[in-house]
Amino acid sequence: MAEPLTPIEQTGRSMAARVVVVLVMLVYILGLFLFRRFNPNFPVVYTPIEDHFKYGSIGSEAATGPVADGIPYWIWRVLPDMFPDKLSGNGYASFGFVFEPGQDVPIGFGRRRVYIDRLGMNCAICHTGTVRDTPGSTPRIYLGMPANTFDMQSYLRFLIACVSDSRFTADNVVRAIKARTSLDPLETLVYQQAVYATREVLLERAGQLSFMSSRPDWGPGRVDTFNPYKTVQFNFPMDNDHSVGATDLPSIWNQAPRIGMHLHWDGNNDLLEERDKSAALGAGVTPVTIDLKSIQRVEDWLLDGLQAPKYPYAIDENLAAQGAAVYKSHCGGCHDFGSAYVGKVTPIEEIGTDRGRLDSYTYDFAANMNLLYAGYPWRFTHFRKTNGYANMPLDGVWLRAPYLHNGSVPTLRDLLEDPAARPKTFYRGYDVYDRTKAGFVSDVSQENGRKYFLYDTALPGNGNGGHLYGTQLSPGEKDALVEYMKKL
Amino acid sequence: MNQFSYFRSHRFRRLLVVSLVLIACVGAFFWYKLFRKVITVYADPVEHFKYGSIGVEAPAGIPYWIWVVLPRIFADKLPGAGGYVALGASWEMGKEMPIGFTKEIVGIPRVGVNCAGCHTTSVRTSPNEAPQFYFGGATSRFQPQGYVRFLFACAHDDRFTSANIMKAILAIYDMPMVDRVLYRYLIIPATKRELLKTEKVDYYWMPERPDWGPGRTDMNPFQREVMRLPDDHVVGSTDVMAIWNERAHENMLHHSDGLNSTLTESVRSAALAAGATKSSIDIPALDRVEAWLRDLPAPKYPFAIDQALAARGQPIFAQQCAACHAFGGARTGTVVSIAEVGTDLNRNKSWPQSSADAFNKWADGYPWAFHHFRSSDGYLSVPLEGVWLRAPYLHNGSVPNMRELLLPPGERSKVFYRGYDVYDQANMGFVSAGPQAELEGFRYDTSVVGNSNQGHSYGSDLSAADKQALMEYLKTL
Repeated sequence: MAEPLTPIEQTGRSMAARVVVVLVMLVYILGLFLFRRFNPNFPVVYTPIEDHFKYGSIGSEAATGPVADGIPYWIWRVLPDMFPDKLSGNGYASFGFVFEPGQDVPIGFGRRRVYIDRLGMNCAICHTGTVRDTPGSTPRIYLGMPANTFDMQSYLRFLIACVSDSRFTADNVVRAIKARTSLDPLETLVYQQAVYATREVLLERAGQLSFMSSRPDWGPGRVDTFNPYKTVQFNFPMDNDHSVGATDLPSIWNQAPRIGMHLHWDGNNDLLEERDKSAALGAGVTPVTIDLKSIQRVEDWLLDGLQAPKYPYAIDENLAAQGAAVYKSHCGGCHDFGSAYVGKVTPIEEIGTDRGRLDSYTYDFAANMNLLYAGYPWRFTHFRKTNGYANMPLDGVWLRAPYLHNGSVPTLRDLLEDPAARPKTFYRGYDVYDRTKAGFVSDVSQENGRKYFLYDTALPGNGNGGHLYGTQLSPGEKDALVEYMKKL
Repeated sequence: MNQFSYFRSHRFRRLLVVSLVLIACVGAFFWYKLFRKVITVYADPVEHFKYGSIGVEAPAGIPYWIWVVLPRIFADKLPGAGGYVALGASWEMGKEMPIGFTKEIVGIPRVGVNCAGCHTTSVRTSPNEAPQFYFGGATSRFQPQGYVRFLFACAHDDRFTSANIMKAILAIYDMPMVDRVLYRYLIIPATKRELLKTEKVDYYWMPERPDWGPGRTDMNPFQREVMRLPDDHVVGSTDVMAIWNERAHENMLHHSDGLNSTLTESVRSAALAAGATKSSIDIPALDRVEAWLRDLPAPKYPFAIDQALAARGQPIFAQQCAACHAFGGARTGTVVSIAEVGTDLNRNKSWPQSSADAFNKWADGYPWAFHHFRSSDGYLSVPLEGVWLRAPYLHNGSVPNMRELLLPPGERSKVFYRGYDVYDQANMGFVSAGPQAELEGFRYDTSVVGNSNQGHSYGSDLSAADKQALMEYLKTL
């Protein structure tokens, strides 16, 4: 039995108890405060699906692995302040990002607090574009269309150039941040560390992407889908891989009728969900950080919520009616929903378009993709090596210029010409619509300080040959066909 | 009270019981996490052949997550891009493991190998396409030596640390906390230790011998790794053999020098060389493979055959080849002495009678003990079903294609590339020269010990037209 306590002992005990209670409360409050301030996983959530698509997080911000693209928000904000010399124009707009009024980040960036607020890319970065009626009009934003103005490669190169610069130091970055906002001492400390972590991640990425320098530039609206994947996911050496895989970005609306089709330009996968999880890896998620619920929301909406936008200009209905017959006999068999060959792969020998993208997706790589998402029930099981390019449905095709898998033909009307008569060079990234030829105006080299990208069909991977269907039609039939296709 | 009273007290007994229960729990935990076996049973015999366990995982399995990340961390130690595919692994679309690689739970998921790694032939018709796989053939691409050397090289590297490997694993997999602790403190260090030990104890003899290259193996694993016979410094490089249609081979000898007269013992001993042990070898699993091999047909030539030309080749075959190579031939499936056939003698010399005697005693006491090993003075005259797929030719794979095999030995290629799986229809074999073959293939030098391309000059004096007809006929086999 314990002895009864003396009054002094009793007082001592209750004092101690009070101190403990106060301490516990203090620790709790401090913990709450720290958790609010430095939550390890707190995405910004948007209720309207369009906002979720534009600004929602898919899990690409987290920095748990070596392959995370998340950049601390404030570092991202001040890079253009610190390195205007590395920009060809005005701030991030010079990369062709789509900014909405009142937003501090462009469409395509999700935000999540992973100790500090970070930005990561989402689906909209490559799948939202703009159209202007005339050079003076306000751009109209179309969700789900190919990001016709966005130059992903230049953006990546800018980030890498910034962190490689000797001016990219913790002191300089924090000073630049403090010029825009206030940081308390704790945040200052955290951001100083984040500068080094960001540099480390981006320099690792720079090494993995160094092979890009020996290949033609992508230009706006294009990405090399699978070559970066080889090095980022698997560390494949690229010494003997000279493939050029740059392709045009696709539209992603109206996915329901695409279920079961061979997806991606070469038809290397026939499961929407895998195609999407693969694209998410490209946007910077890892199998650990991917936000499946967020992606599911986008997927559900893309199935039938988001439809191909209607052509907004006048259509000559008589001419279109003539074109309908031409379309039916020349195009529908491969491109109509429900047709025999839609969503199937046409062998390269037959389609005859540039084989760069096809050859960039190798059997070795496809085999290794079987281990992506290993350990999870959604491990990839549908990737395969094909021998051609898949026949795409043409819903909203008016918005999907330039054409062919590598975006080598600026307009629909040009696509109906014999390859020798198609433009050998043209400009990409400009968003004023060409209603005559159906596509974007492609002869503007610069406007208001923004330079557009000269696409040269003579470069490797950029060939504009093949897909001769319809090239033998009369000029009148071609005009009619183009008029009809505006209605798709 | 005496000095032992505490040990008789109720309190002590309670402590004892609690301790025993605790020890049992800890024991059960480690048994569950490190030794518990859950082996997948594949109902389909082809799937069983491709992915089923033969008992290699427990003694020699690589923990799955280490196996997944090694090619990404140590990509510089592989011969090129492609992870395990760079070592010639055949990987079907959608499958978690390459053909010939098993994933089974021995405490944790571990990766072993089985028969199919060396006995699946990969064939492409052009470089930029997915290969076709033929089961039961001899691998055209896989490098068993390259695989073990890759693992050893990783284990030697300073980057093979728990920190690095866990970083790579956790970047792609949210591993449960218990497994993280086991991997970090137990499994990764033990794997490194075991690999280095295997290299030193089982494969010490390998560095002094010429590289096998893709599609070849060696008799030394039987003698050094399995039986621990002292090193005789003999080179045993040998082309992997096709193992289909075994029922028709029932009364023939097996292996290129005919070192065993039973299929059963050949299958089981091969499993031991692949890493199974006396206690781990899965005899029922091997019996299933064996039963399937008995009736597995040799694949038909998948390209066009000029039937008229082949018909002209048939009597030439009957006259020149059939006695030794046709089913029913007087000498088919028997050993032809080196003195007569004249091919490289190393492989034959690498399996002396002493090795056969040792193997015949090695597993005494086991129901599957060996009794039919022997040695010979030459090489087996094999039946030629599916011969189109069995290039390069001769027991050591020293002649790239059939056209060259019909040349006088002095005119055959002294150097060629093997391991490139694009088929060469004109010459009947795999493409063995040119930039892509050089890039993807292994430089085979016939002047290296064990690699001679001499001998077997049968048919070399035929006319060009007769050779062409004979080759066309051989495609029909």
